[in-house]
Parts: sequence; structure tokens; C-alpha cells
Amino acid sequence: MPPANLPFLFAAFAVTWIAFFAYAFFVSRRQQELRKEIAELGGALDQQGAEDVG
Amino acid sequence: MLGNGLRQNLTGYLVVLSGLLMMADLYLIFMVAPTDAVLGHVQRVFYFHVPIAIMSFLAFFMVFLASIAYLVRRNGKWDRIAHSCAEVGVVFVTLALLTGVIWGRPLWNTWWTWEPRLTTTLILWLIYVSYLMIRSYASNQQQAARYSAVVGIVGFVDVPIVYYSVIWWRSIHPSPVVGPFAQASALEPIMLWILLFSFVTFLILFSYLVAGRTALRNSEDRLRGIRLVLRRAGR
Repeated sequence: MPPANLPFLFAAFAVTWIAFFAYAFFVSRRQQELRKEIAELGGALDQQGAEDVG
Repeated sequence: MLGNGLRQNLTGYLVVLSGLLMMADLYLIFMVAPTDAVLGHVQRVFYFHVPIAIMSFLAFFMVFLASIAYLVRRNGKWDRIAHSCAEVGVVFVTLALLTGVIWGRPLWNTWWTWEPRLTTTLILWLIYVSYLMIRSYASNQQQAARYSAVVGIVGFVDVPIVYYSVIWWRSIHPSPVVGPFAQASALEPIMLWILLFSFVTFLILFSYLVAGRTALRNSEDRLRGIRLVLRRAGR
């Protein structure tokens, strides 16, 4: 029987999964932060428009 | 253009689908795929390593096409697509290098060797990391888009070099199992089917990551626009 080399097998799969999860998590969290900031600044922009009209 | 709601739904479907396919893929890799008679269990890394490497080629091909489209049309949409694909491509090529290094250690008895496939892949990684750095350091968005488009087109030259490196030069890396130079008898039918399933799985995951990154880039541009308007209004 060839050597199993299970630690290497585990390491390769773990690295792949951790990297994909970390990247997807980073993108998703950053997207949430930006949406929140866009909503806040969009509100300020609407207020500015209302003041200009008023 | 897709609406925001539809885009969010599509991203949601892609993440669920890629999760389900990945579970099925893991089952096939560990429970169905035969154990390699020479390499043992560690050979199962192959079902991840090869699709991840091919997806990085696909990402850089999309960067190449979108960069040409940007330089011809000067439409920011193509720059957003190129940027998103380049970043996701860097994630994939980094993982192709890491899984290759981990797989190679028990087979070649070394973590790294300057053989053609590894060296050309490292160059590919450096090219697209430079692409992302150029974007970060450019003084404005137009300059970032223009310079990175040139790197995205010229840098793609390395992709066929990576593929053909094991054919052109003497290499310890195995010959291609997919593409024009793949040997017909390189894999048993069951291994080939599981590899194809892995390709589909990683293609869905790749689509999800590109869709997510493109949506993030759209939000970044929108926020930049709002800030500009507010700055001009003196707020």
C-alpha cells in the first residue's frame, strides 16, 4: 500500500476551504458596510436636495 | 443590466448551489474516487487542484477580454468586470500554487522546485498581483482602468505558457489531463467523471465569487460618486 500522507491531504483541503470562506466573508461584510454607508450618505444627499428646493 | 433585486437573488442561488455541489463533490472525492495505487490518498488533492488552476485561467481570460473591451469602448462596466475577475483569479491561482505545493511535498520530497510549471505559475501570480497593485497606486480611476487594462492584456500571454510549459520543457510536473494535449487514457472513466463534476462545482463557485465582487465594486463606485457630489456641495 502507498503511504496515506493524510496530513498533506487534510492541509490542502483545509487551506482551500479556509481561503474561499475568508474571501467570501470579506466581500460580503464589505458589501454590507458599503450599503449602510450609501444609505446614510444618500439620506444626507436627499436632505441637501430638499434644502436647496426649500 | 440586471436589477439589484435580481442580482441579489442570483447571488443567493449561486451560493446555495455551490454549497450543495461542493458537499456532493466532497462525497465523490472521498467515498467514490478510487485510491491511487502509487500516490495513495493524497492524490485526491488532484480533484481540487486541477479545477482551481483551470478556473484561474478562465478568470484571466475574462480579464483579457474585458480589458480589450474597456480600451475599445471606454465603458466602466468592462473595467469593473476585469477588476473583479482579476481579484477572484488571484485567489484561485494562489490556491492552485498552495495546493500544488502541499501535494508536491510528499511526492517530490520538497516544498518547492524551480521547474517550468511551478515557475511560470508563480510568474502568473506575480503579474496579477501587480495588476491589483497598479489599481491601488493609480492616482485616479481612469488611470487605474487604463494601466491595468494594458497589464490584463499583456499578462495573459503567460497563461498559455503555463499550460504548455510541461510540453515545451522537461518537467517533473504531470502532463495535462484536460485540453488539447491531454492523453486520452490519462484517467480512468470514474476519475474523469468526478473531475468533470469538480469543474462544474468550481465554475459555480467562481461565478458566485465574481458576481459578489462585481456587486461590491459597483457599491464602491456608487459611494465614490455620492461622496463627490457631497464634497462639491460643501458637506
